[in-house]
Amino acid sequence: MDRGIKIQAQAFSKWNYILIAAFAYFYWLMLKITLYYVPYNTNVAFLQIKQTEVTSLPEYRYLFYAHVYTSIFVLLFGFLQFIIPRAGNGKVIHRFSGYQYVFLILAFAAPSGIYMGLHANGGLPSKLSFILLGTLWWVTTWVAMIKIRKGKFLQHRDWMIRSFALCLSAVTLRFWKVIIVYLFHLPPIDVYQVIAWLGWVPNLIIAEILIYNYNKP
Amino acid sequence: MKQIVLSVFVLMLIVSCKEEKAETKKSSKGDLAYNEAEKETHKELYGIWTGNIYPEDENHEYTDDVAKKISIKINKITKDSVYGQSIVAGYQRLLVGKLTDNGTKTMFVLDEPGSNKYDGRFELTLQNDTLKGSWASYKKNPDTAPFKSLELVQKQFMYNPNFMLSDEIDLTDWSHPKQEEVNYTISEEGNAEEEVVEVMDVYRSASEDIFKFNASTQKLTEEELKNLQKLDLEIIRNTIFARHGYSFKKNSIRYFFEVNPWYVPVSNNVDKELTQLEKDNIVLLTRLEKYATDHYDSFGR
Repeated sequence: MDRGIKIQAQAFSKWNYILIAAFAYFYWLMLKITLYYVPYNTNVAFLQIKQTEVTSLPEYRYLFYAHVYTSIFVLLFGFLQFIIPRAGNGKVIHRFSGYQYVFLILAFAAPSGIYMGLHANGGLPSKLSFILLGTLWWVTTWVAMIKIRKGKFLQHRDWMIRSFALCLSAVTLRFWKVIIVYLFHLPPIDVYQVIAWLGWVPNLIIAEILIYNYNKP
Repeated sequence: MKQIVLSVFVLMLIVSCKEEKAETKKSSKGDLAYNEAEKETHKELYGIWTGNIYPEDENHEYTDDVAKKISIKINKITKDSVYGQSIVAGYQRLLVGKLTDNGTKTMFVLDEPGSNKYDGRFELTLQNDTLKGSWASYKKNPDTAPFKSLELVQKQFMYNPNFMLSDEIDLTDWSHPKQEEVNYTISEEGNAEEEVVEVMDVYRSASEDIFKFNASTQKLTEEELKNLQKLDLEIIRNTIFARHGYSFKKNSIRYFFEVNPWYVPVSNNVDKELTQLEKDNIVLLTRLEKYATDHYDSFGR
C-alpha cells in the first residue's frame, strides 16, 4: 500500500490537535484582516498606503480584491487536505476541496499575487520576492494537479506540500512582521523588505525537509 | 430609538448654546465700537509679545507643569483700557485690562475672562524692550502652579514656508513613555557579570527624516513617506501648523517647536491660513499616520 496514505490513515494524534488549534488561531487573524475589506472599499487598511496604485492603475483594485477574497478560502481548503483522512467518505471531501484549492489558486490567487508583486512596496528586493513567490505557488500547484491526474499519489503529495508551504507564507509573513517590529522597531518599509523573503523561503526549506523525510527509504 | 431622540435633543441644546454665545460676542463688539471713539495711546506697544512663562514652584508641588512658550497680543490701548489676547499651550484667551504710565514706569494689568479654570491675571512691567512680570490664576488647579513668571519681547509674526525645525532639537518624545522590560548586564569590579531585567520607560524618537521633508513647499508623495514612522509623520505635519503660528495643546508636540527661534504661537486655529499645497499634504500625512497607528506593529501588512 502507498506509504503516504498509510501515514494519513493513522488516528488523530496529539500533534494533529495542536496543529488544528494553531491553524484555527491564525486563520481567525487572517479572517479579521479579510473583513477589513468587507464591504468593498478602496481606501482601507493596506490600501491606505496603496492609493498611488489604486488611483493610477484601474485594474489594481480588482486584482487586489480577487486576491483577498479568494485567498481566505484557498487557505482553508488547503489546510483541510492535510487534516481530513482520505479513506472512505474523506475521499469525496478531499476531491472537492482539492478542486477548489487548485482552481482558485491557478485562476485568481496566484496570478493576482504576481501582479501585486509587480507593484509591491519596498522596491526591487520585495518585488522580486513576491513575483517569485507567486510564480512558484502557481507552478507547484499546477504540477501537483498534473501528478494526481496521472495517478502519481506520492509525487502529488510532495508537490502539494510545496504548494501549501508557499500558501502559508500569508500567515508566516505577517507573523514575522510582528516579531521583527517588536525586536528592531525598524521603519515600516525596511521591515517589509525583510519579511518579503522571510515569509516564504524558510517555509519552502521546511517543506523540502518534510518531503525528504517522507521519501527516506 | 430612545438614544436617537436623546442625542437629537442634546444636539439642539448645543446648537442653541452656540447661538447664545454668538449673541454675546456681537454685544461685546458693540462695546468695542463705542470705545473706539476714545483716543489710542502707546501704539508702539501694539503687536505680539512672545517669550516663556515659568511656574513658580519652589516646593516642587507641580512637577508636571513646565515652562511654556506664550504670546500676548496687544490690540488696542486707550486711556482707560487695554484689549488683547494671550495664547499659551493652545489656549487663546481674551485680555482686558489697564495700562498705567507715570513717566518712569509703564505697567500693564491684564485679565483673562475667568470662564476657563486656567484663567488668571497678568501684571507686566516694561523694562527697556522687555515686558517682565507675573501671572496669578484665579482658581487653584491641581496640575498648574498658581503663580508664574514671564518675560516677553516684541516680535513680528510672519509666515514663512521655508522655516524648518532646528536640527539641534531633541528628537525624543519625552511625554509618551512606553513601559518595557529591558535586559542588561552589569559588571562591577571583582564581581561576576549579572543579568538584570527591569521595567523601564522607553521613549520613541523621531528620525532625521523630519529635516528632509518640508510639507509647506514640496508636494509630498505616498512613495517617499511610506517608510516613515508615526512620530516623524506627525512632526512633519505639525510643522506646517507651527509655521502659521499655531499654538499646540499637546506637550509632546510643543516640545519639538518651542525651541525653534522662528516659532511664534499666535493662534489656536490656523485652518484658514493653510495653502492648498499644505492642505493636500495634510490629507496624505493624516492617512499615513492612521495606517501607522493601526497597522505598524499588528499582525497584517
